[in-house]
Amino acid sequence: MEQVIANGLYLGAQYAMIALGLTLIFALMNVLNFAHGQMYVIGGFVTYTFYGQFEIPFIFALLASCATLAILGALIERFLFGPVIRRSSREESTMLLAAGIAFLLDAVILLVFGEKQRGVPKIVNGVFNWDFRIIMPYDRILICVIAILSIVAFISFMHFSKTGRALRALAQDRVAAELMGVNVKRYSMIGFALGAMLAGLVGGLLVTITGVNLGMGGPTSIKAFLMVMIGGAGVISGAIAGGFILGMLEAVGLAVLSQYGDITYLAIFIALMVFLAIRPQGLMGKPWG
Amino acid sequence: MNRRSIFSAASAALLLSMAQGSVVFAENPLLKIGFVGVTSGPAAAWGISNQRSMETRAAWINEIGGYKIGHVMYDIEIVSFDDQKDPKRAIAGMEKMAQEGIHYVVGPNVDNGAAAVRPVAEASGIMYFPYAFPKELYTAPASNAVLGMVANYQSGPAIYKYLIDEKGVKTVAFIAANESDPLSQRDSGLAAAEALGLEAVSANVTYQVDTTDFTPVLTPVIRTNPDLLVLSGVSPANAPQLIRSARELGFEGLISTETAQDAQVLREGAGDLANGFISVGGASTPEIASDMMNEFVARYTDMFGEYNDESNTKVYALEYILATLAANPAGIDDVEEFKMTMDTFEAPNPYMKGDAVLRYVGTSSFGQRRQLSVPLVVNVFNNGEFETLLVAEVD
Amino acid sequence: MSLKDARRILALAAFLISVFWLIPYLIAVSGYWNFYFTLTSVALLSVASAGVWLTFYIGRINIGQGAFALIGAYVSAILVTKAGISFWISLPIAGLFAGMVAVLIGLPILRLRGVYFAMITLVLTEVVRLAALALPITNGAKGIVSIPLPSELSIFGIVLIPDFSAIENPKLAFYYTACALMVACYAAMYRIVNSRLGQLCRSMQQNEELALSVGVNIAYLRVIIFAISSFFGGVGGAMFGAIAQSVYPSSFVVKDSIDFMLNCFLGGLGYVFGPMLGTLVLYFGWDLLFELGKYQLLIYSCVLILVILVLPNGLLSVRLSRILWARQ
Repeated sequence: MEQVIANGLYLGAQYAMIALGLTLIFALMNVLNFAHGQMYVIGGFVTYTFYGQFEIPFIFALLASCATLAILGALIERFLFGPVIRRSSREESTMLLAAGIAFLLDAVILLVFGEKQRGVPKIVNGVFNWDFRIIMPYDRILICVIAILSIVAFISFMHFSKTGRALRALAQDRVAAELMGVNVKRYSMIGFALGAMLAGLVGGLLVTITGVNLGMGGPTSIKAFLMVMIGGAGVISGAIAGGFILGMLEAVGLAVLSQYGDITYLAIFIALMVFLAIRPQGLMGKPWG
Repeated sequence: MNRRSIFSAASAALLLSMAQGSVVFAENPLLKIGFVGVTSGPAAAWGISNQRSMETRAAWINEIGGYKIGHVMYDIEIVSFDDQKDPKRAIAGMEKMAQEGIHYVVGPNVDNGAAAVRPVAEASGIMYFPYAFPKELYTAPASNAVLGMVANYQSGPAIYKYLIDEKGVKTVAFIAANESDPLSQRDSGLAAAEALGLEAVSANVTYQVDTTDFTPVLTPVIRTNPDLLVLSGVSPANAPQLIRSARELGFEGLISTETAQDAQVLREGAGDLANGFISVGGASTPEIASDMMNEFVARYTDMFGEYNDESNTKVYALEYILATLAANPAGIDDVEEFKMTMDTFEAPNPYMKGDAVLRYVGTSSFGQRRQLSVPLVVNVFNNGEFETLLVAEVD
Repeated sequence: MSLKDARRILALAAFLISVFWLIPYLIAVSGYWNFYFTLTSVALLSVASAGVWLTFYIGRINIGQGAFALIGAYVSAILVTKAGISFWISLPIAGLFAGMVAVLIGLPILRLRGVYFAMITLVLTEVVRLAALALPITNGAKGIVSIPLPSELSIFGIVLIPDFSAIENPKLAFYYTACALMVACYAAMYRIVNSRLGQLCRSMQQNEELALSVGVNIAYLRVIIFAISSFFGGVGGAMFGAIAQSVYPSSFVVKDSIDFMLNCFLGGLGYVFGPMLGTLVLYFGWDLLFELGKYQLLIYSCVLILVILVLPNGLLSVRLSRILWARQ
């Protein structure tokens, strides 16, 4: 049982971080970013290149991932999402753009980083073993702690910094924020860059444990959508809750239903559908998005 | 140099290279061999290693003046189609091959694609060489598909038998991704293990292919404490993570799989934890690789920057097609001739030391010769390299 | 008959002639036989996409059409292989079954809107795939293979559709069948959009609360529309199963669901024939870039992004001609 909870916590922390960036972008621009998973993969590959191949210290490789993705995110917002949102008569058109960007990033990843699974040396060796009740390698614990710290840092940034306040105002009401003197164009770009940076950060962190390959992008996006839906679309705390809930659900589901193998995920997904049908706005979301 | 002159220089260079290309091709008639498989998206690794080994071999043949079939030297051209792992696209790809007048196609890489292209291949007279295991594809009345590798229901028993005899394995656990190909492989692996008297202590646990943390998946399996953990149909991307999680959870038994893996990927993803991991490979370990195999690996690395050990088994399909055509040149545009030759065809295996032969097998599994006799090489991973554990043959 | 009607009929005639006569003629002359399958695919995928478009029409983003296509493919395959029913009878049953499932699922989930509905339909695709893997009737991971070609359909001894396995060129037969389905499907769509039902849908798309307040039974309406949409999906999927002569749990996956949605977006959500054009462009776009080898996906996605940048409201927003489109 302790093991199940520990597994769930670890999964939850990594999921929550993935969901954060997605929900931020959604809250700011009402864009369902299909390319989020691909951004996460790029983050992983950048860290792999710097840490695994050039043998630069891990922390700098991680920063390189964040910087790459922040720039990429800013460019994507400035030259792709911004114009399309302004000129399209329907909000949904951005979904087509997001999918197009996902294809593009997939193609770029394949050409630049290749088709193989990549991994990096462990950052810490050893396994924490509490009497065989909880077994958790130290690197996982470390990543889990870093993830939680980043989440805390992100929340305090959103709450206490000027940029964070502007972003929150933007998420609440675009028009009102603009009237109050928030530079909407600039902060949309910053917000998108921040969301992409979070994807890069978590990609860089997880490459030390799960490695990275170009196929991880799409499924990661979909999983992130799920977490965002559980918590409530566009709500930061909801994304965190959603991440931890999905992590727990998976850990518990796999432990309890393991003997029925094939239906574990079927059960999880059906439970999610039922939950969303009953409570469409998720745990903390505004009704109807 | 201004922009315009760069442009004109570039187009001149392009024209020049095209002209050169056509000069080279003008010497020999061209023999087109098709490839339909997945070279983009999540499963790209399967198709790409396939396509690249074909392209490497084709470039090699063309460089040394072509391949002799009958009295004619042919240059080989590989026509590739990316089916995106979508059976609907795979059909379109096969139609495209038929359109191009191609009769020999390697691929598709997955079960549903291989099943979907069957009607087209049979209607258009195409022999195709899938890397998919369903027996329906190869048993009569189907006759145009040739299994390109050793199926897991053939390699599994060989590995289990060896481990029972040598390592005293008594209990086994299976884990598979929740997808068609791995689940089918798990079921046939389970049947084979039980037929050999192994006790299966866990065979129901599955995982999603997109799993990022295998600890929760593996926890219940490891609790059953099997002597042998079989990763059925595991993709090279998932294998190192599964091994690492199992070892970190304190599992001390053996781990094996019946699919081909890549040493570099294991080294990066699991490091020393992967020591002792048993997988199926081709003939590239030093003990059995011929000079030709070594040259193939070197040329592949030259062309694409990095070798992929999965190509060890995938180098064979093209070689078989060409060698069989050389044995009976009438097969070039008549697959019925090709099929007749298959029953008697035999040639030395250029990629392996010793007196191994290329021939078509499969009578005991499919009732007809519809499988390439690829050497069943079982490797064990040790300190970053594969070592050959045993070599066997399928009949 | 006004001038507008006359032009509309002319355009329709031109379309029918080119689909049923000109294209087969051109293929026969040029010898590009592989276009039959490509166009058959386009026709069938555009039938399924039409369903997605219809759910857009009531203001819902539907990323679950792959689920209904898979259901349709399995129903038809099971009926043909296990019950020995003629494919031509199984085809409408497949559609109806998909529609029935849509009613059951739709009742609770159609209350959702926006991304919430989109996400739940996305999960639905995965649920159906996992169910197909787990259920015994679908033959699990091994799929259903070696499905016979469609057999003869005759009424009172008059042969309506000949046995496909006896035809010299089943590709052509499949092409005609798929095109006939596509024409029927878009005729039905056009009819729906220009009927009272269509008006009610448009009012829902604008504002559900307002529609409700003026007495529109929106709950009933959206279930009906969702069922019709899924019917199209089921029929398209069943037809694909017949062509591939096999169905696997992964025959229609999340990627297909997303593709169906993209087809609608690309063609333009405001136009009945949008999904048809979108499917044609997306599918052919990929095929035309075949020569580019490993740069195929790169160029494809770049072109796609450019198109969106230039025409964010869909290809048909160019309005080269205003005749064909339903909404003037």
